[in-house]
Amino acid sequence: MPDLSSKTEPVTFVEQSLFEVHQKVYPRAVTGVFARWRWIMVWLTQLLFYGLCWLPWNGRQAVLFDLIERKFYIFGLVFWPQDVIFLAVLLIIAAYSLFLFTAVGGRLWCGYACPQTVYTEIFLWIERKIEGDRSARMKLDAAPMTIRKALLRATKYVLWGGLALWTGFTFVGYFTPIKTLWTTVWSFSLGPWESFWIFFYGAFTYLFAGHLREQVCMYMCPYARFQGAMFDPDTLTVTYDLARGEPRGARKKGPAPASIGLGDCVDCHICVQVCPTGIDIRKGMQYECIGCAACIDACDQVMDKMGYPKGLIRYSTEHAIEGRWGWKEIISHVARPRVLIYSAILWAIIIALVWGIVNKPTLRVDVIRDRAVLAREVEDDLVENVYRLHVMNVAEAMHRYAITVSGLPGIDMMGDRIVELPAAADKTVTVRVRAPKESGKKGSNVIYFDVKLLSDEKVAVHEKATFLIP
Amino acid sequence: MQRIMSILWPSFLVAGVAEGLFFTLIDPQELYLLGEPVYFSRTAAYSIGFLCFWAICAASSLATCYLLRSAADINRGVGASQE
Repeated sequence: MPDLSSKTEPVTFVEQSLFEVHQKVYPRAVTGVFARWRWIMVWLTQLLFYGLCWLPWNGRQAVLFDLIERKFYIFGLVFWPQDVIFLAVLLIIAAYSLFLFTAVGGRLWCGYACPQTVYTEIFLWIERKIEGDRSARMKLDAAPMTIRKALLRATKYVLWGGLALWTGFTFVGYFTPIKTLWTTVWSFSLGPWESFWIFFYGAFTYLFAGHLREQVCMYMCPYARFQGAMFDPDTLTVTYDLARGEPRGARKKGPAPASIGLGDCVDCHICVQVCPTGIDIRKGMQYECIGCAACIDACDQVMDKMGYPKGLIRYSTEHAIEGRWGWKEIISHVARPRVLIYSAILWAIIIALVWGIVNKPTLRVDVIRDRAVLAREVEDDLVENVYRLHVMNVAEAMHRYAITVSGLPGIDMMGDRIVELPAAADKTVTVRVRAPKESGKKGSNVIYFDVKLLSDEKVAVHEKATFLIP
Repeated sequence: MQRIMSILWPSFLVAGVAEGLFFTLIDPQELYLLGEPVYFSRTAAYSIGFLCFWAICAASSLATCYLLRSAADINRGVGASQE
């Protein structure tokens, strides 16, 4: 933020000067190796995002974060609120993977996989198809409003809006069954909150990918601010080879650069024109650089045309540029303490997670004492306590369980002794337990509930409870 | 505009985290509102919950923004009308 106190301009200026004036960036289309990789990632991530929610599994949606039933389904796995630890571990794994990738490859996430990059790429593609490439768009923006301009604008906004709404719909489809959602949309019976979230997420997509674009990375993204902390001199970044490029200057094709006292940079500014954040990579490493390598693709094409070797701008490391290393040396520096430590921690957590999921119990039981009736005496000197057993079948198949009670001589229970539960379902069973008055001491006595799977006695839960004798 | 974003955006991020944590640990159907059990659906409870978290976090961001004004701003009266 600029220092306001040093400004003496009129108030109207000061109000705006709190932030720099935004200049619209018109990224020029780019083709090449890295642009192709980005498009591959766009297809992969979006096929996954738009497609996965339609995939069926065991008669239900394969991936569904069912907030209403409070159950997360991921293919054969069902996660209950009790499994929140797995979610926490998953987030830790995501964070550590990001640290690891960043330490080795710089901002690979930003350049190729971040939704902001991916949707901006798609929205830019639509824009380019309708309004043309960089110079055509700049001309159109500057031109006065005509019918042609209005039509082009309207087409673009409608297409953007359609894609954004579809994205919002898909997003909501991960939290509420998408096929039901689809039918409710067409019968106009969509719930108020579902509609709200579809439009909310759609509006965000539209705003972020259509209008805010690089500003999201520059002003709104927390990761962009701290990714530098994971960098070291051996991290791969998009780098301009200063020693080779300078002194830059325009020239005719033909003579070797050295013979006319110039470096390899022909100062064509194409690297600036293709940059989605509008920076000049030749000024060195900047936090605005999202590592998309569009400037590498663009510069390589210019180098080809000039007959110079490629790679004036390239993926390299600080050490590699200094020491004029090749790929062999860069790769040999990947295994360094920071990377090894990140990897070791990451693998340890992944193994722990897999172990935890494999050994996840398939049956859970919570015993809740009925608070209304503590204990009451019934006929034949028996005391009765009432419990609610919350039985959760975490497995993916219908199961029958037997309930027994033990802990006091002559103790017995009334009510259902067999509970049948469909796959991934839970049920609360009310159980009245009776025991002779003299079977235990006055006050609280420890008893045990045993819930066992009928077809496999190894799947069992032994739950402690207290039995009150007045 | 940018000042409004700098209030709404960080509060949105934090509200998202708060929402996730809160409703993972607590089932909205087990909550009481003004002495009555929560009667609206879980979807509504989650949504209202999120909007409330967002509002609370935005209030905090607003206070931060308000207090961040330099002495020069206050003397000139800059930003007073926007906050």
